Amino acid sequence: MLSFIGRSIIQKTITLFFVSIVSFLIIHLAPGKPSQVDPLNPKFTPEIVERFRKEFHLDKPIYVQYVYFYRDLFTGKTVSWKDNQSVLGKIWERFLNSLPLFIVGTIITWTLSFPIGIRSAIFRGGLYDRSATFFSYLLISVPGFFFAYVLIIFVVTHFHVPVIGLKTFGIGDASWLRMIMDRVWHLLLPSVLGATGGIAILSRYVRSQMLEVEGQDYVRTARAKGVPEEQVHYKHALRNALLPFVTMFGLILPGLIGGSVIIESIFSWPGMGRMAYEAILARDYPIILTVNFVSAVLVLAGTFVSDLLYLVVDPRIRL
Amino acid sequence: MTIRRVLILAPTVLILFLIQSYLWVPTYEEQTRGNPDRLNEYITASIGDASILNPILSADSASSDIQSLVFEGLIDRDEELRFRGRLATSWEIYEEAFFYVNEGASIPGVGKAEGEDVVALLWRAKTGDLPTNPELKASLGNIREISVGPARNFLVTRYEKKNEEDKETEEVRVRVSAPARIKLVLDAVDQDLFQNLSHILGKDYFSSFNGQGYLAVDDERWQEKRAKYAEEILPATEHNPIVVFHLRPGVKFHDGPVFDAHDVKFTFEAIMNPKNLSPRIADYEPVKRVEVVDPLTVSIVYKRLYSPALGTWAMGILPEHLLNDEALKKEAIRLGKNPEKFSMRQSRFNRHPIGCGPFVFREWKSDQYIILDRFYDYWEGPPNYKRYVYRIVPDLLTQEMEFYAGTIDSYNVQPHQVERLRDDPRYQNFSGPSFGYTYIGYNMRRELFNDPRVRRALSMAIDVDKIIDYVLYSQGERITGPFVKQTDYYNHSVKHVPYDPPAALRVLEEAGWRRNKEGWLEKDGKRFQFTLITNSGNDLRKAVLAIAQDAWKQIGIDVRTDLLEWSVFIQERVDKADFDALILGWVMGIEPDLYQIWHSSQTHPHQLNFVAFNNSEADDLIIKIRQEYDHERQVAYCHRLHEIIAHEQPYTFLYVAKWTAILDKRIVIKETDRQGKIMYKKIKPTKTGNFAFYFNKWIKLPEAPGFAAEG
Amino acid sequence: MRRRSGFQEFWRLLKQNRLAVTGLAIFGLFFCIALLGLVLTTGRNPAFDPAMVRLQEKLRPPLSRPNLETLRPEEVPRLGVYLFGTDDLGRDVFARMLQGAWVSLTVGFVAVGISVIIGIFMGGISGYFGQNHPSMDTLIMRFVDIMLCFPSFFLILTVVALLPASMYNIMIVIGLTSWMGTTRFVRAEFLSLREQDFVTAARALGVNHWRIIFRHMIPNAMAPVLVSATIGIATAILTEAGLSFLGFGVPPPHATWGSILSDGKRFIFDAPWLTFVPGFAILIVVLSFNLFGEGLRDILNPKLRERY
Repeated sequence: MLSFIGRSIIQKTITLFFVSIVSFLIIHLAPGKPSQVDPLNPKFTPEIVERFRKEFHLDKPIYVQYVYFYRDLFTGKTVSWKDNQSVLGKIWERFLNSLPLFIVGTIITWTLSFPIGIRSAIFRGGLYDRSATFFSYLLISVPGFFFAYVLIIFVVTHFHVPVIGLKTFGIGDASWLRMIMDRVWHLLLPSVLGATGGIAILSRYVRSQMLEVEGQDYVRTARAKGVPEEQVHYKHALRNALLPFVTMFGLILPGLIGGSVIIESIFSWPGMGRMAYEAILARDYPIILTVNFVSAVLVLAGTFVSDLLYLVVDPRIRL
Repeated sequence: MTIRRVLILAPTVLILFLIQSYLWVPTYEEQTRGNPDRLNEYITASIGDASILNPILSADSASSDIQSLVFEGLIDRDEELRFRGRLATSWEIYEEAFFYVNEGASIPGVGKAEGEDVVALLWRAKTGDLPTNPELKASLGNIREISVGPARNFLVTRYEKKNEEDKETEEVRVRVSAPARIKLVLDAVDQDLFQNLSHILGKDYFSSFNGQGYLAVDDERWQEKRAKYAEEILPATEHNPIVVFHLRPGVKFHDGPVFDAHDVKFTFEAIMNPKNLSPRIADYEPVKRVEVVDPLTVSIVYKRLYSPALGTWAMGILPEHLLNDEALKKEAIRLGKNPEKFSMRQSRFNRHPIGCGPFVFREWKSDQYIILDRFYDYWEGPPNYKRYVYRIVPDLLTQEMEFYAGTIDSYNVQPHQVERLRDDPRYQNFSGPSFGYTYIGYNMRRELFNDPRVRRALSMAIDVDKIIDYVLYSQGERITGPFVKQTDYYNHSVKHVPYDPPAALRVLEEAGWRRNKEGWLEKDGKRFQFTLITNSGNDLRKAVLAIAQDAWKQIGIDVRTDLLEWSVFIQERVDKADFDALILGWVMGIEPDLYQIWHSSQTHPHQLNFVAFNNSEADDLIIKIRQEYDHERQVAYCHRLHEIIAHEQPYTFLYVAKWTAILDKRIVIKETDRQGKIMYKKIKPTKTGNFAFYFNKWIKLPEAPGFAAEG
Repeated sequence: MRRRSGFQEFWRLLKQNRLAVTGLAIFGLFFCIALLGLVLTTGRNPAFDPAMVRLQEKLRPPLSRPNLETLRPEEVPRLGVYLFGTDDLGRDVFARMLQGAWVSLTVGFVAVGISVIIGIFMGGISGYFGQNHPSMDTLIMRFVDIMLCFPSFFLILTVVALLPASMYNIMIVIGLTSWMGTTRFVRAEFLSLREQDFVTAARALGVNHWRIIFRHMIPNAMAPVLVSATIGIATAILTEAGLSFLGFGVPPPHATWGSILSDGKRFIFDAPWLTFVPGFAILIVVLSFNLFGEGLRDILNPKLRERY
């Protein structure tokens, strides 16, 4: 067990190292320079551009830039080129904004997917199953922004309430309950939109897991023994079908930072995705690279956690 | 079965909980009723966030939106775009001109002369003892004082790179023994002074001055630099225009201290400080020094004639007491950073700015909002709105949604939306010409485009009026040249190129292009074919791209199009001049300085004359315009320059888009007269099209007022 | 009893899954439309000119008749009616959709083609030679791990934003960032096929490695590849639409359904058809791909099959 953990950590660190190199190369070798070195602004003379290049170490060979960048990152000194703010501080702030969206989205996904998936499995091939299949594919087949606009327009024109941003602007000093509910309302649409894809995929997965398990001998045995149908489904089958999902908890971790650029832009939600997107537009390398790095860490940590959970949950695997 | 119940109950409860939150959210109507303070807040939406709230460090429009409210400059522009005093109450401009006595030159009728002799000669001329022509007479009449500075010896140190790649520089010592120098103080700036004086002093009195003879470079290796040094250290003539600002007494910064001349000097020095990496450094490069005459008078001495310089003093003035070296050092120590390396760029000030503008900074949440409160001690009286909120809403469509939902008061409204809301009784709308124009530029380095007839024909094939009518919903005006249409620099007598495809074909035929069997234009067996590019992300330019392609296809030109991401567009194509034709826009300053965009010296990579426009008369005029301080003469030069550029058609000048705005009808101008009577007026744009000119007097009322019909 | 051929068997199973059949039918229809679109919208004087600007006819609703007085004869739409209306420059949305069908299809197919080829190649090498050359296997699988560390849409966005915009770049980038899944299951499939008798026999007979791979193993490993490719095309079309929304989609003169949709969104109040026509078109096509892919999975997966 310990040796597994040790090996796994070493392996993931090596992977991380290569990820850092690849992302650094992608960004530095591609055409396009940071906006501070944007020469179409007549105010920028070649001397200033040169000074900015120096300030950003762009005049150094690329491996030196690489070392500088990751040295700064690990000592927490990296600053955004756009506004000189600390990159880690900015990411933390955005992370806190993205967090409620992520939590609500995940709760919606997981609470809805299970009942839908299980029911589909129980009545497989029936009308319910087929329409559930159809609708879950419908959900992942809509272009996200199209769906978002249709929803927003529907809500704004029919209910005349604001839906954009973290909260209603100019709500003033309302009671705290009202403030909280206002925030919940603003969370609703973006998190539902963010959850649609997840619901579709997860409910399909729940369904196939249930089908898999229901074909197993012990379920047949239980049924043969005359255990009530409902109990067979919800007790015998479900419990075992749940097993792989425990390990999936680890895999949600990257979703923390991923966020959706499109949903966040449409809802002017100041989250991670949007910050990353704006950083791409402004060629704010420190932010792009840090976001990339952090998300790689999360992906690796996620797989690590899910491996561990798998070890704990599944008694058949012992290392 | 409990599990089953939980599985069904959990999502139901969750969904109900989420949906019930709807009941708590205020609708548009409830927002002002539930919160009367909302009427005292003005909320505006922007696509992008500010980057750095320090007027000397920022270069983006969102930051400058906020800075214009928090900071105040010495001057700004009034309704008619003339300068008007803000922190300065008044100012005057005069000139000090210098020239070295040319000991070797022979003055007609006098011979070789010493400094005193030259002074005496000039005095004689000024009092009318010598024959003069009218121009010379004007120049002489303008002279207030004449004096002579003695010859002097001094040492100058220069730093030179040993070779191009070297980072190390070497000290070069230059010994100078300068001859006597004559100083003239002029009442008004006179760019023709020396040219006119040469009528008295001899045609080549100034040009034959041999500066090199007065300096010695110790080190043998740098002898070849002597000519360059002579030009820098001992220029034969020098114009030093001087602007004296008289400052407004008793103006306070938001944190209390009173503004004075030292803040102006400090702001200038902060810009010039290389540590700060100010993007505005180029604007202030012509400034020689800033002198504090007394706490309420500051004089700015320029190195050379550069008339657009006055406009740079509209820049927000920084508070010295918060940002000088001492304050920064304290801040660095407090933050535990190295005070040596700590510069204004790292200061907390950039996210918590303090100025002496009408609004006090309060809060900034990145990518969410910036909140400003009104400043009670504002020198012009506090604004009516208690609070100004700048919201960042990156999507144009959702900005519109938020506007309908009542959580923003104004947004970047598009012409087609104005069209739709024009007759809505809830809103008032405005539009006015902006300062930017859109054009199609032709790369004249390419053989295809170096014939003005071809460029003109291409312009003739595009129906600009139709673009304005249908794409801009009439929210645009045609333009024929590079000046701001609202100013007098713009030459209204220049006719725009008519839309006439058959005539365009005739012009092209003159230039040798004929249609082939397939209908394409051909010359010497080569098809008329090029690629038109523009940047992505701008819907109007994209529309023009499609229209131009289609219009040129009609007359048999095979146009390819390409849409490039902004930085790729700039760096790969524009900077390297690697394009045939492009669609782009310029946002112009009010100052008529066209040097960077149109002067033939600016055609190198990374420079802005990327179409390679080259016309010697235009070059002369461009220089004259930026050296001229007299408005009338400047206007005359600009009109001529406008004609030349319009005739050459390096660009197809398309249109000036109008900016558009929509406001709730309940927002009005509120004024209190001397008797304390409150009057409400409808918001109207100024003549030059600025509707927010009186923003400080705006307020939102609970009900839309009826206005008496007024003229 | 006569054994039915594989295809007949497949067809029989497919017919039982009505959603999948519908998906296939729509997919076929879409393919025909796209081909037709290619023929009808290209050339000097195409039957439907998607680039024809008629500013005076802008934002006409679907099925409206053109105003013949203001149009030159060559500007009148071929059908005599604007089937899907016109856009903000008066271009015929129907013509644009026709052209876009082909481009969208190309983007989807080429992107998935690239990812499938890379996936089979990498997975094949890793699965087939892995046992004899563990270092090669490790190398490839570690590379897959590295690629999986990047958030995929963010990676695509970064690269597309940094590179010059062109249709080819977008296809290549989508392809290059989505081959990891294919690699993984091709490898798994190969590992199990490798141990099967017919492969062992072929190897014992001294058949060339590549021949074994191409003749025996790839055809047997194709089933899951096919399923993921079908769904991959759907994903690629959606990804392209998302990129278009952010302004990094396929640049003109090519129009994709995604770019028509994101261009139209500005006019969602004035001309809802500009949003809804391409929006629903994408929805239907992507849905048909997904349903067909799902049906395919059911059919090709023998473990699930027996339970129906």
